[in-house]
Amino acid sequence: MNQNQTADLLKRSMPFQTVPGEMLEAIAKLARYESYARGDVIYHQGDFADDVFIVSSGAVQHTLGIGFQATHPEKIVRSGGVFGWAAVLDNQRTRMAKTVCMERTELIRINGEELINFFKATPETGDIVMSRFATMINKEYTMPEEVAGHVPHFTQVPVTVATGLSLTMFRLSQWLKSPKPYLMMTGFGILLATWYLAVEVWKLPRFADMPGLTTVMKEWFSKDPVYGLSIWTPEYYQHIWVSVRRILIAFFLATVLGVPLGLFLGWSKTFREYVFPVFETLRPIPILAWVPLAIIMFQGSETPVIFLTFLASFYATALNTMLGVETIDESYSRAAACLGASKWQVFREVIVPGAMPFMFTGLQISIGVAWFSLVAGEMVAGEYGLGYVINTSYTMVRYPTIVIGMITLGIVGYVSSALVRMAGDYMMQWRVRELALGGR
Amino acid sequence: MISKRLTKSLFSRSNLRAVIAIFVFLVLWEVGSRSKDWFGFPMPWVGHVPPPTAVLVAWYGLLGDPGYWQSWYMSTLRVLAGFLAAMVIGIPLGLFMAVNKTFHGIVFPSFEVLRPIPPLAWVPASIIFWPTQELSIAFVTFLGAFFTIVINVLGGAKSIDPRFFQSAQSMGSSQWDVFRRVVLPATLPSIVVGSAVGMGITWEVVVAAEMISGGGGTTGSGGGLGFFIWNSYVGGSYEQIVVGMISIGIAGFVCSELLRKLGGYLTPWLRKR
Repeated sequence: MNQNQTADLLKRSMPFQTVPGEMLEAIAKLARYESYARGDVIYHQGDFADDVFIVSSGAVQHTLGIGFQATHPEKIVRSGGVFGWAAVLDNQRTRMAKTVCMERTELIRINGEELINFFKATPETGDIVMSRFATMINKEYTMPEEVAGHVPHFTQVPVTVATGLSLTMFRLSQWLKSPKPYLMMTGFGILLATWYLAVEVWKLPRFADMPGLTTVMKEWFSKDPVYGLSIWTPEYYQHIWVSVRRILIAFFLATVLGVPLGLFLGWSKTFREYVFPVFETLRPIPILAWVPLAIIMFQGSETPVIFLTFLASFYATALNTMLGVETIDESYSRAAACLGASKWQVFREVIVPGAMPFMFTGLQISIGVAWFSLVAGEMVAGEYGLGYVINTSYTMVRYPTIVIGMITLGIVGYVSSALVRMAGDYMMQWRVRELALGGR
Repeated sequence: MISKRLTKSLFSRSNLRAVIAIFVFLVLWEVGSRSKDWFGFPMPWVGHVPPPTAVLVAWYGLLGDPGYWQSWYMSTLRVLAGFLAAMVIGIPLGLFMAVNKTFHGIVFPSFEVLRPIPPLAWVPASIIFWPTQELSIAFVTFLGAFFTIVINVLGGAKSIDPRFFQSAQSMGSSQWDVFRRVVLPATLPSIVVGSAVGMGITWEVVVAAEMISGGGGTTGSGGGLGFFIWNSYVGGSYEQIVVGMISIGIAGFVCSELLRKLGGYLTPWLRKR
């Protein structure tokens, strides 16, 4: 049996199917050819397991020893079949079965140690082969973890689980194959074309006064903007930074104050009966109706804007956290109390994690309304900031800058919401897993 | 018998506590804002706010003022105009996006790109675009409710169990039947929720739009509640600011409650028994 035939045989066997050609040849060099007559015993149960066998022709009866719970204690291995994989396990190198040739049999045998050493040099391929061995073992045993768990691993990351970049690339390629991106492009195309044509080409009655697509883009990316604001001017980033800073402060305060308030409102009935009515009386007043009062209460121009932004976020956070506590099944608290948990322990171990999902919904809403009221506050009372840019650009007839401000607001707002959502998803992984395991 | 039950529920412990809490809140507010006169040192923040008694007096004076009621009328009109436009355009758009995948693929991304822009950022652009101030304010109010309604309708329609469609189709329903008998009743609850939330946003937006754009009317108090507040601020009558705030709170609350009641009437199967 020559090298090529051996490689072909390996290619037909289950574990080596996916191994590339040149590696197969290298593995074929490790293989030794042997032939047995009818009735020959290849190994007994309890022998030291040195080699893995692949049948070329003939038939081998494979009888598992008592004590190994197999789905089929007896099987016949024929051409292309693999047996004797105890040689590649890392804990147990004894034969679990007895193998007898039923007719004249030709086979190749590969030393387990040598095979493992070989794969150490090419861990990716090695892990694929070993995972295929593990699959084989899983099929044969009713208690497979015990055995298959000892199939060696070569790489740090199991290759069967796609992670990080490869997963992203896979999803990207799937997405590109679907009609979605092309429909999306069509949608954007229609939107931008309508804008461009209506304003700059056809000059429709009301549209003619609006800043056109090309005007806005030229201004936005111009190194020497007509109205003084583009991606090349430092003022642009200063405005963004001022707005973001206000959002950060307000969002932080709203979270730090709103989450505990919401937790206590949901947790203690007495507390809620006293505090919630006041909360509910104040809540219908639109945040933006607070603007003048905020200016009166907090002197200066910075604090009122932050206060308005904070107020909007605060309501959303506190209310959603409270709802979250209310949705917790009361039997959890009771069960914990039965097991001897103190009130504080129930609060920490049941109430807080139980309210988490709603809390993050609240934070997502909170960041949205924060931008909403920040813009209003900046337009009326602010100095600097994106809302201020939009408003002053209007009063000073810098129409393209209005649109630049709007687009920037959209982008920054979207990014901040996405960040909060990602943080939430990251911290809510246990919940996603729980939902997945529940089959819901 | 009924009166006894009524008194019992009226004077329940939770209601009693609510009254106590609001009373304490008002007293603290009163003391806080009068602390400069009474104790000689002003409280931070609250010290600048007019006390509730003064607000009540100012409110009482305004009750006979037609200009105040005109503000109510103007704001309500604008809210209704923007809100109705958002319903009329938003609900069919949301439903159509839910039913037709191609349309969803084309429109939804553009929709999502425009959505993060806060409605108030549209105010200047809207003033430039629309011929009258009235229309521009209504447009911004429309935007406020529009996105919320569409997202809610779409979400509601997407969460329908696909087996409902399959069973309706297997029993020979036409596309229209599926829409009329499955999609519409299934999305009705989310339409109601979206509308109620949208109504709240509409009131938020109308106030700000009135403040920023100057209210439409040149004659002081005729320009809606938002302008009423802003005018009171500029004129220095701080009590009236608070009156305006409370008025808007009441108006928004009443509108949302009416909408919820109407929604409950439209979706009787969701009523709690």
